[in-house]
Amino acid sequence: MNEVVLKIENLTKTYKLGKRDVQPLTDLNLEVKRGEFTAIMGPSGSGKTTLLNIIGCLDKPTSGTVLLDKVDVARLPESQLYKIRRDKIGFIFQNFNLLPYLNARENIELAMELAGKFKEQRKQRALKLLAMVGLSGREQHRPQRLSQGEQQRVAIARALANDPAIILADEPTGNLDKNSKQEIVKLLANLNQKQGATIIMVTHDEQIAAHAERMLFLNDGKIIK
Amino acid sequence: MGILTRATRNITRRKTRALLVIAALSLALAMLIILPPSITANQEAAQKVIDDLTADVEKQALKLNMVATQIDCYLPIVLSFDSNTRPILYPLMNVTDYAGLSLIPDVTAVIPILRQDQWAQDEYLYDVYGIPLDASFVDGFPSILPSNITAGRNLQAGDRGVVVLQEIVANQFGVDVGGTVNILGQNFKVVGIQGRGSYQGLNQYNVTAAYMSLEEAQTITNTTGQATTFHVFANSIDNVGAIANNIKAAYPSLRVELATSVINEALDLQSRANNRMQEVQNTMNQIQSTAIVEISLVVAAQGAIILLIMLYTVRERTREIGILKAIGASNTTILGQFMLEGVLLSLIAGIIGIAIGIVVASPLAYLLLPHLNQIGFDLILTEEGILTSVPPAVTITPQLILLGVGAALLLGALGSLYPAWRAARIRPAEAMRYE
Ligand SMILES: Nc1ncnc2c1ncn2[C@@H]1O[C@H](COP(=O)(O)OP(=O)(O)OP(=O)(O)O)[C@@H](O)[C@H]1O
Ligand SMILES: [Mg+2]
Repeated sequence: MNEVVLKIENLTKTYKLGKRDVQPLTDLNLEVKRGEFTAIMGPSGSGKTTLLNIIGCLDKPTSGTVLLDKVDVARLPESQLYKIRRDKIGFIFQNFNLLPYLNARENIELAMELAGKFKEQRKQRALKLLAMVGLSGREQHRPQRLSQGEQQRVAIARALANDPAIILADEPTGNLDKNSKQEIVKLLANLNQKQGATIIMVTHDEQIAAHAERMLFLNDGKIIK
Repeated sequence: MGILTRATRNITRRKTRALLVIAALSLALAMLIILPPSITANQEAAQKVIDDLTADVEKQALKLNMVATQIDCYLPIVLSFDSNTRPILYPLMNVTDYAGLSLIPDVTAVIPILRQDQWAQDEYLYDVYGIPLDASFVDGFPSILPSNITAGRNLQAGDRGVVVLQEIVANQFGVDVGGTVNILGQNFKVVGIQGRGSYQGLNQYNVTAAYMSLEEAQTITNTTGQATTFHVFANSIDNVGAIANNIKAAYPSLRVELATSVINEALDLQSRANNRMQEVQNTMNQIQSTAIVEISLVVAAQGAIILLIMLYTVRERTREIGILKAIGASNTTILGQFMLEGVLLSLIAGIIGIAIGIVVASPLAYLLLPHLNQIGFDLILTEEGILTSVPPAVTITPQLILLGVGAALLLGALGSLYPAWRAARIRPAEAMRYE
């Protein structure tokens, strides 16, 4: 349980915007152990999304190392990175980001299809995950026929599809009403407690962050306790 | 739910747009498969025109050349005031006096003809018309024989004791083919009847004559060794003028008559035929260049439509591409996905385009390409009849269907290659921020 899944050292991210540089992350260090539920808070524009994108291999750091399961993903080429995103990362977004032309089950299956899983196996697992997030019987529904809370549950199920090493949730409750917020964060806490999922969750909301076992703050490009 | 299902769903997601694009693409593809057979059909039509013209000109030229190389020489009519006070229509010439005619360069034959008018109580009856029935003359210069035989047969080489009567003359005698007629005290068997309004020699009028061998004509008219006309034949139309001048120089008293109108007609026929062939050739060139331009335009339009629509699609779905990458899609998967969409779109349009092509091939071909102008045939064609102005029928063969499918696949792939490549290169973090 104490194994380190993620170890970030001296991470700096600089965006060049014409003459002016923006540096949301400066010499950032962070360690996450397997099975931890970490919440990261910080003011708007402090670099929370930037940090999650780098951990999730959607973006590259300007300097520093990002060891994910002991592999420095900062040095991997795109031809390797997509496999990390596929197999080790599960993303949950503020606005769900389900594909509108696929139904709930297909959205979950797509992640597994990309990983080369077979049809029957995909279907079984998608149905199991839907049941787990409380959406049994809704597998045929496309996103537009699901409530926002339900869409986020499907997104959570999709994030779990390939049994990732780490789940990255970027303000997963940001677009939800009060009740849904609670349900979603409880679902995440449950995943962490019952299944030992490693979760890093970014949020503005202290009440939501309170569900995590560890709370970090991002300020001036660094993690502060 | 494989990649194909996803591609199909993405196409059907925007139905109106997909329909418009498919309509445009299918029309373009219909044109593409119709153009090649149209060119072939037009080429065949043009070839037929040229073949018909060539055959017709050859046939006419054979006829015309025969007459056009003919020069008639005779002495002018003499007004005599003999006992009958009748003009001498056909003054007599001693054949031996004109032996020099055959020595003139480029002359191939000199054929003496005897014509003597017969009268009874100041009433003109008919001409006795003598033709030398030597095999070499009859076979080589058939125009010396009476034309327009409407019953029985024409005179033949070596014929003796027979006549061909012009219809009016036959009526005067009250005889028909197979009958016997007494002319100036000698009996002749009637072997053929010449219809009215016939050509004889260079002129067209009713030659009311009794045609027979030159020798017999000379005998019964007491004109042995004499003739009234020489048909001088030139070896080609080009030399007719020079020969005529030579004749006038050597025999100033002779009237020399050329088949001027016939020569002009022959030359005119040739030039009209040439003009027409040139016209056909020009039209063919036009068809060819128009088709090339149209094929290029269609191919370019096809590729451009796919390129633009796929670029638009990629832009519109940037965020989606970000999502796909976030859940683990490789660049290759993205590339394949968008290529497949482009190809699928093009292929659907291709199948519809082929269907359109099969249904409206001929009218569409008529609209797309210039065609042979039919005016001008009628001037040339005589017995062969008039060519139709119906557009050549265009049929879509299995090869053309394959061409259509192939073009759809190829253009779909080419047109979507760049957009798909752009899609694959989209950086996921930026794509997720898009919108
Ligand atoms: N691609 C980019 N190019 C330039 N600047 C960027 C880019 N992405 C992010 N930034 C800038 O980096 C800083 C951090 O952005 P980031 O989205 O990580 O903040 P955040 O903490 O997630 O904010 P929020 O709470 O509003 O989501 C911002 O100032 C943002 O404008
Ligand atoms: Mg953010």
